[in-house]
Amino acid sequence: MEKGKIAAFGEKDIMLIFKSAGVDVFPVSGNANVPEMENHLKTLVSEGYSIIFMTETIAGKLDRLIKYYSGKITPSIVVIPGPGRSSQYAIRELRRAIIKAVGADVMAEEKTGIK
Amino acid sequence: MIQNINATRMELLRLKKRLQLAVRGHKLLKDKRDELMRMLLEIIDEVKELRLLVEKEFRSILEKFVLAKARIGPYQVEQELLMPSKKISVMAGQKNMMSVRVPQFKREVSGDIIPFGYLNTSGDIDIALDRFDKFIEKLLILAEKEKAVQLMATEIEETRRRVNALEYKLIPNLQETIKFITVKLDENERSTTVRLMKVKDIVRSH
Repeated sequence: MEKGKIAAFGEKDIMLIFKSAGVDVFPVSGNANVPEMENHLKTLVSEGYSIIFMTETIAGKLDRLIKYYSGKITPSIVVIPGPGRSSQYAIRELRRAIIKAVGADVMAEEKTGIK
Repeated sequence: MIQNINATRMELLRLKKRLQLAVRGHKLLKDKRDELMRMLLEIIDEVKELRLLVEKEFRSILEKFVLAKARIGPYQVEQELLMPSKKISVMAGQKNMMSVRVPQFKREVSGDIIPFGYLNTSGDIDIALDRFDKFIEKLLILAEKEKAVQLMATEIEETRRRVNALEYKLIPNLQETIKFITVKLDENERSTTVRLMKVKDIVRSH
């Protein structure tokens, strides 16, 4: 077991609550551009953060990088709901993983009503 | 069939050994795939439920927090939370599940989540922070489980490809080549026998 750090990456409002819990926070303003955020995330990973919380709004923009990291053991990127309406990013991502593994969408039963 | 093959006994023995190995590997990989799939299906519901719960709870905490912030003013809240007294870190380990390494986190916390005096803040913010404190445990579990799902999904896909490649490509290929060599060698043997008979006939007629 080795020591890991936790980071939170997202809108300032949400970061405040994470900060109070002792998580290292990295607020991002809403109009930051994508390459900038990607670099930021890469630095966080290279600094050894093993869990990174990220808001949905930002995760949507950094989709490519998140997919890249999803195949690696570290970091674990956890997408949390951001301000505004939920985009169901995490659920979609979960569903994608299942389709990849099983070859069929086993979570789709809700839509069809068959269980 | 494998191209450019020498129809010799040595080659035949070599191929037979390879086929044996391929069949054994195929069986093992198939077992691995099935077991991984079973484990994935087992945790998938768990992860989904946890995810939905986390999203719901986080929203309600956030709502409470934002309301509290609105009541006492954003500037004040920022001031109060400027120096958090709580420290959180995780011990990250690894667990081996069917050769898939998945992370395991154990949290280490120190200090209290409420870093401020009660004088200038409203009770709502205390409640929100307190709830968040308990909530973070769930987030860590979610981090662990979601990662496990992703890693297992990747591994299953890889294993499935290997199984299919063995089953539909390598094994039939080897079988066909072995058959080809066997037939060829048998044919050679027959032609040798016939030739010998012929030669004997010629010799006898003289």
